[in-house]
Amino acid sequence: MSLRSEKPSVTDNPVKVVRSFPRFTLAQRWEHGILILSIMALFFTGIPQKYQNTSWSQFIISSPERLELLQQIHHLFALLLIAEAVYHVGRGLYLLVRRRLPGDIFPIPQDFKDAWQMVKYLFFITRQPPKFGKYSFEQKITYWFLFLWIGILIVSGIILWYPIQITKLLPGGVIPAAYLAHSNEAIVMAIFVVIWHFFHVHVQRLNLSIFTGSMSEEEMRQYHSLEYERLTSAETEDAAESGGSA
Amino acid sequence: MPIRRVTLYILSGAVLLLFSLSMFFVTVASADHTKQGQPTATPQPGGATTQTAPSAKTSDPNLSIANEVCLGCHGVPGETITLPSGETWDLYVTPEMYQDSVHGQMGYACVQCHTDVGEYPHPPFQAKDLRDVTLKMREVCARCHTRESELELDSVHAAARAEGVREAAVCSDCHTAHEVRRLTDPNTHKMLPDVRQWIPERCGLCHSQIYQEYAASVHGSALSEGNPDVPTCIDCHGVHNIEDPRTAYFRLRSPYICAKCHTDSTLMSKYGLTTDVLNTYVDDFHGTTAVLFEKLSPDAQVNTPVCYDCHGVHDISSTNDPATGLKIKANLLARCQACHPDATTNFPTAWMSHYVPSPQVYPLVYYVNLFYKFFIPFTLGGMALLVVLDVSRGLINRRGKRPTQMTEEPDETGQAMAETDASSAADAAGERSDRDEDQDAKTASDEVEEKNG
Repeated sequence: MSLRSEKPSVTDNPVKVVRSFPRFTLAQRWEHGILILSIMALFFTGIPQKYQNTSWSQFIISSPERLELLQQIHHLFALLLIAEAVYHVGRGLYLLVRRRLPGDIFPIPQDFKDAWQMVKYLFFITRQPPKFGKYSFEQKITYWFLFLWIGILIVSGIILWYPIQITKLLPGGVIPAAYLAHSNEAIVMAIFVVIWHFFHVHVQRLNLSIFTGSMSEEEMRQYHSLEYERLTSAETEDAAESGGSA
Repeated sequence: MPIRRVTLYILSGAVLLLFSLSMFFVTVASADHTKQGQPTATPQPGGATTQTAPSAKTSDPNLSIANEVCLGCHGVPGETITLPSGETWDLYVTPEMYQDSVHGQMGYACVQCHTDVGEYPHPPFQAKDLRDVTLKMREVCARCHTRESELELDSVHAAARAEGVREAAVCSDCHTAHEVRRLTDPNTHKMLPDVRQWIPERCGLCHSQIYQEYAASVHGSALSEGNPDVPTCIDCHGVHNIEDPRTAYFRLRSPYICAKCHTDSTLMSKYGLTTDVLNTYVDDFHGTTAVLFEKLSPDAQVNTPVCYDCHGVHDISSTNDPATGLKIKANLLARCQACHPDATTNFPTAWMSHYVPSPQVYPLVYYVNLFYKFFIPFTLGGMALLVVLDVSRGLINRRGKRPTQMTEEPDETGQAMAETDASSAADAAGERSDRDEDQDAKTASDEVEEKNG
């Protein structure tokens, strides 16, 4: 889809060199891949258990053995997701301690202003959509909602996994509460990923930077103009400095 | 043969006599006659006179022999036969007992059941022991009570007999042989009131331990006090086609047996009991699984409990019972530990005990549920709204710019117009590119500003 807007420029300048900016590290891209794998597996093994009164679910869960298998697969991928979450948070904390944690993903007051401007733009109150830095407020919403919900799913999932050990510490009521939270949260997350995340990265435009690890100059300029400006101005400063010294 | 011919003559004479008499008293006596004649015939109304004539088949009753004839010998104590097993078979029938039985009251003759003993000396009866006698006499009941007999053949008792368990009950084990009791009202076909208390006693003759448990249970003790609402054996197990209760299928289906009464609001309100027991059970994790496999694979061994795993099978007690009642925490914990041996004090409350969550009971569960009831539509609805607005804004932007785009990109716009039902994907893409153009303009102007600055 982005190709369409590039088309004229390509014809104008057939030997144009497309610059790309690094956006995600290899580790981050792997993390995203693990997330996709584990969340999809968890979703598809969890959803028949939730909607067990439906015929399609009963087609899958036709015997106690099948149910057990489904639960074992669910537990296996839960371990993968937990490992990923521990790595992600652990690495974040490590970088924080070393004061090397990039702050781009953290919400700042500007995000609320951006969101408000986006609402105004969508209601034709302003003509200009907001300009974004490395991550737009929409992307931050995606990250933090998933962060929070995976947290809730992991915690409630562990409670459901080890009810006997949990009730040694907590009142019994947390078990049915966790059951409800886990089951509802999974649906919330599934709907969110489909209507919000898929819309923004597939429908609105095909944004594959989490897989390729980089973003073209064109896209950077269009969707992350502030970040683009910051990077390019830093470059020009560097160039100016090196030019001055030379 | 000569004897048979003589009886034939006598009987035809009797028929002719009856016929002429009935013709004689045709106006007044006809009603009385059929009333009296019916019991002596095989129970088919209207055919009394013709059916009194015996055929040559020995299975048909020889109705010329009155009960008094039989009781002449069998109504006196001391008539016995020693069977090959060495057991003594007492052939005494208490005349009063028979008269009080449902068959006696309706005037059935001994020979209507004992069809093959119409002659004296009786033809030899082949039985190696007393049980053999009882088992063989089942066929006698089956002759009239065909439906009950067929149902019984599907029962756990019949299956056990087929496997060689000779003790398994037949008709007369429950109903007795000669003192068969009237159980239902002949007009309403409803069970007579004092029968309910009699049923567990009959089952208890063999199932004595279960009877003891039942008699002490909340149901059994109420029954002994004359309560007509509580279940007896047959309300759960059925009557003649009693199912094997040890199968996985029976276990998985059992919640519905309990629910028959325990979801009946008029019945439960009499005792202040909730009717939410089934739906709360089905909603909670144990019931969810049990009910699922009841539908999908009813023969599967499922390890989640059904009603009786917690409340007891025959020794069901009131939940308020201090010794075993499940409302007492320690009792409930002991029940949980039967399957969850490591369970501790807090564990039982993980099961919501048939409560529907409310701000008073299980507030945490209630509020979590409430939260999602609002959270899901509001948050996700809001997001969906933003997405829709995003799409529509793009659509409107493109409409507004169409004339200029037409000149710039004739191919693309033509294509877009051809797609009358353009997918949201195309719309969104177009919208983004519009937004991009805006940004392009902006960045371009910014750059100009920067240069100027």
